[in-house]
Amino acid sequence: MQDFAAVRSEMGEFWNIRSGLEESVKGFFSAPPEADVVLESLIPEKDFNTAGKGSAEVKNLLKRLGVDPEVLRRVAVAAYEAEINVAAHSRGGMMDSYIHSDLIHVVFRDKGPGIADIAQAMVPGFSTADDMVREMGFGAGLGLPNIQKNADALHITSSAGGSTVLEFLIYFANNER
Amino acid sequence: MNAKETKYFHALQILEDNCTGCTACVRVCPTEAIRVRDRKAQIDPNRCVDCGNCVTVCPFHAILPRSDSLDLLSNFKHTVAIVSTSYFGQFTEDVSYGVAKQALFALGFDEVQEEAMVTDFMIEMIRDYIRANRDKRPILSSNCPTVVRLIQLKFPSLLPNLFHQEAPMSILTRYLREKIQAERGLAEDEIGIFLIVPCAAHVTAVHQPEGAYKHLQDGAFSIGMIYGKVREHIKNLQNHPPTIDTYPRGLTWALSGVQAELVDCEDIRALSVNGVENVMEILSRVEDHYLDQYDYIVLRSCTNGCVGGCFNVENPFVAMSRIKKMIKEGENGEVDVRDLEELYGEGEFEVAPLTPRPVMELDKDIKTAIVKMKQINEILTTLPGLNCSACGSPTCYALAEDIVQGKAAIEDCVVLLQRHSREDETVEG
Repeated sequence: MQDFAAVRSEMGEFWNIRSGLEESVKGFFSAPPEADVVLESLIPEKDFNTAGKGSAEVKNLLKRLGVDPEVLRRVAVAAYEAEINVAAHSRGGMMDSYIHSDLIHVVFRDKGPGIADIAQAMVPGFSTADDMVREMGFGAGLGLPNIQKNADALHITSSAGGSTVLEFLIYFANNER
Repeated sequence: MNAKETKYFHALQILEDNCTGCTACVRVCPTEAIRVRDRKAQIDPNRCVDCGNCVTVCPFHAILPRSDSLDLLSNFKHTVAIVSTSYFGQFTEDVSYGVAKQALFALGFDEVQEEAMVTDFMIEMIRDYIRANRDKRPILSSNCPTVVRLIQLKFPSLLPNLFHQEAPMSILTRYLREKIQAERGLAEDEIGIFLIVPCAAHVTAVHQPEGAYKHLQDGAFSIGMIYGKVREHIKNLQNHPPTIDTYPRGLTWALSGVQAELVDCEDIRALSVNGVENVMEILSRVEDHYLDQYDYIVLRSCTNGCVGGCFNVENPFVAMSRIKKMIKEGENGEVDVRDLEELYGEGEFEVAPLTPRPVMELDKDIKTAIVKMKQINEILTTLPGLNCSACGSPTCYALAEDIVQGKAAIEDCVVLLQRHSREDETVEG
């Protein structure tokens, strides 16, 4: 993906920021302002009936705010994929959405077991999903790449055996091009 | 009707004398358009999509789906009825298709035509449109007026995906009006073309069509309203069954599932969805591009499709089974579609680009909207969270929103009021 800059991956941490947004993303993370609206949602392990509810809620909320439909779709896809990831690969976790006047910041924290090699996990088609997950139609290995494609900034921290934190930013001003 | 008119016509009317303010309707409205204020239900015309959920659920017959009066027929020199396919599923099995159709003449129509006549043509037209619009996936059916309005209101990003051609009954209207004018030497306004419809949304669509370029129908009659009269004529006709053309193959239009099967072919994959809750869930997934593998989605707000409309007298599953039987057993009359094909080729059935009706948003300005949402969340923490609707708003969230928008007060919450009065008692005691 050549229009992405600042791709940096090392064991344990992954950053991807859409080019041109480095300054504002850095500014945001160095001193995160207090969110105007916060939405919390639980993601139980392997519960594919509940997974997806959090992202649906966020989408409905952004609709009420009048967010651009294309931006809305990107948020919905990124949030949904991340939610499914937590349900499919972890022992369950939380999804917290922080809505600011110009962007949405969504954070997923799980209870482990962590990602051994994040760079490998980012490769389209790579998946560690077990048979049960695959039987349910998930585990195609497109979750993380899809999140990266739709988010303006993606940050993952993880270690094998520990928990994973995935967070992304999407600006409301439509800046995909 | 003036297209710029912002006041929306609706076929649903609340009979205040019957309304007890029970809130049953408030809870089933998919667009949260109903509130009970001063113990009477009120419908917000900007939000209502005419789905008819409230009509079906009201235990007091306080929500009356309006349709036109047959007296209208006397205003015209030549009158035509165009019958919705679901009409034929409303009778017991001893009533033949032909008899049910013939009985309609007794209501005073000079001509009786059927939606079913153009179903085959529609299927071909839909396929052609799908192939000509490869850049849009999936194409969404636009026949159900409730679905069109739901998309305008809640899924505006999907408006370009709607099948931008007239529905079968409107196509027939266009074609017949010109044909009758030429054949009988009548002026446009001397011909009255009326629909016999299964739901309130179709009445609304006749009086306030979305995207129509030309004058379409002159009125709509509810199947339920004419049913009694038709039944009497059927009794008389039973002994002398008429010879009349019928189009059983076209009756598939009343069944959303069968319609999708017909459109489905080698290069077109179709999905069928019915019931307003299912429709909303699917539209939400289409919005996120999770259903791009489908070329066409048939969407109907009512159970099983138009057989589930609130004007029908028969249960939607029984009606569906009867219609399927008719399709299997009947013989199809010949339909000459050459004129229709020509009109389609000339773009005569095109619909103007449909426009959003963004009334679900908290504010036009996103910053103000966020401030309002913050206020809503603050109010929400003080509300009991029972979603009991006793305040007249559908949920605690909706009440909080109504308060922020200046349409309700915190005192409207009955549960809080009771808690406060108990606290007062304890203090006094």
